[in-house]
Amino acid sequence: MDRLRRVLFWVVVGLTAVFLLLPTLITVPMSFTTTSTLEFPPVGFTFEWYGKVIGAADWRAALVNSLVVALAAAILATVIGTAAALALHAHRFPGRTLVLGLLLSPMVTPVIVLAVGMYMVFSGWGLVATRLGLVLAHTVLAIPFVVVSVLASARMVNPSLAPASLGLGASRWFTFRRVTLPLIMPGVLSGAVFAFITSWDEVVIALFLADVRTRTVPIMIWNQVRTNLDPATAAVAAILIVLSALGVLLSYKIREARS
Amino acid sequence: MTVSPHDRSVLAKAMGRFRPPPAFWLIAPSILFLAFFFVFPLLKLVAISLPDGSVEYYRQIFTTPIFLRVIGETFRVSLIVTVVTVAVAYPYAFAMAHGGRAALLVLTVALLIPFWVSLLLRSFSWIVLLQNTGLINDFLIATGLIDRPIRLIRTPLGVIIGMVHILLPYAVLPLYTVMKKIDLRLMEASSICGASWLRGFARVYFPLSLPGVMASAILAFTLALGFYITPALLGSPRDMMIAQMIAGQFNEQLNFGLGAALAVVLMVLTALAFGLFGAARSALGMRRKGEA
Repeated sequence: MDRLRRVLFWVVVGLTAVFLLLPTLITVPMSFTTTSTLEFPPVGFTFEWYGKVIGAADWRAALVNSLVVALAAAILATVIGTAAALALHAHRFPGRTLVLGLLLSPMVTPVIVLAVGMYMVFSGWGLVATRLGLVLAHTVLAIPFVVVSVLASARMVNPSLAPASLGLGASRWFTFRRVTLPLIMPGVLSGAVFAFITSWDEVVIALFLADVRTRTVPIMIWNQVRTNLDPATAAVAAILIVLSALGVLLSYKIREARS
Repeated sequence: MTVSPHDRSVLAKAMGRFRPPPAFWLIAPSILFLAFFFVFPLLKLVAISLPDGSVEYYRQIFTTPIFLRVIGETFRVSLIVTVVTVAVAYPYAFAMAHGGRAALLVLTVALLIPFWVSLLLRSFSWIVLLQNTGLINDFLIATGLIDRPIRLIRTPLGVIIGMVHILLPYAVLPLYTVMKKIDLRLMEASSICGASWLRGFARVYFPLSLPGVMASAILAFTLALGFYITPALLGSPRDMMIAQMIAGQFNEQLNFGLGAALAVVLMVLTALAFGLFGAARSALGMRRKGEA
């Protein structure tokens, strides 16, 4: 009886793991199929769909847009978020809880609400259909991730190091640059990776703010999925999965380097 | 008018009081940025939803059957998805917490891989898996369970499968955090005292894991309320959720006032659900130390 329960338990857990992995695992093989429809298991082996995606001018333009927007949003969010996290970590001031709440609230606001709100405001400011508009919107989404990551990193730093540096006569700026920043670097970098991926994957806001010239890769996928499902979409998906995996690996390497 | 030394010192004191602390310059950019590009857009929506202070759009939402149906449908789907997600997450988190190091590693990797793959791509994969010629139907036919493909995409079932898949990591993590602190020797003690496994679980383990259950359920529910991509790709227009209706008002109907009012309704519902989250956390004493 005890044994049966144990076996049943692990079967359920195993099936859950399969359920979690299945969609990711089937996408990559499907991108190599020689058929013109998505088949699993794939038939034959070809790089034709990758060639088709990389050769298409609209996919290339979308890729450039995605990279530019995600890089800019990651840099902006990292600078703004790191500064805020340092202040929250080092100082107790009135309204601190409120400020932390504000900084984290983009994470729990439904994206569709943000998308339509930004659309209304940004259209008045001439920011719709511009890369700048997308950068600003994605920065809002990314700031909470940077704040969380840097705060976690700052908690692990010995709190007497910065006062020691100041006490030995170093200026605030020198202390920040040579003592605090190197110590929290792992948190800053993994926050930056998070911020990049947040923008890189974002589709709802981009649907409202981008036009044909400024559209990003997720928008191209969205259009493809809604019109025709062909192996080219699987090829794009596979490329994105590999890129995400690289990003994750990078952030784990950074975390490892901490020790 | 002359300024006495005393006045001057008072003035200096007052000035000193107004000098912003160092934290101000670090925190100001983030507050300004979010005020302009986050808070202002949300306030703008509230303003658009109340033209000249009239609550007409809200009256329309709460008296028109179609809007009420969509709000009801959103609640129904979110509730089903929450129950299924937590039920599936519970044994998974248990295995992570008490199944040994190897199990923890494998299960964590299996949990985090989909977490990092975009929501859009996962919905795409589910379309491929669930379509009439997809893997799931092929499998069911091969095993003889069905003899004709059953319709899985463009149905509520497809939406639920896709949403559970996306929400599982969010539900597992809070459960795991609580469960790994539970001492399994308590279960041994209950069995030594003569309780059956089931009784021991129901009276000892489950109550101890309840804070995790609450946290993961409310988190899953809150996130489910705002889902847009998954229902749009895997569902039929008939079982539309509120996020799709909001998008429709802005994209197709071009009724910005009504769309804004619907967005405010969603925002309030989400805030209420999340407020419940905070209340449940503090009621169950889950508030972590050192965190505001």
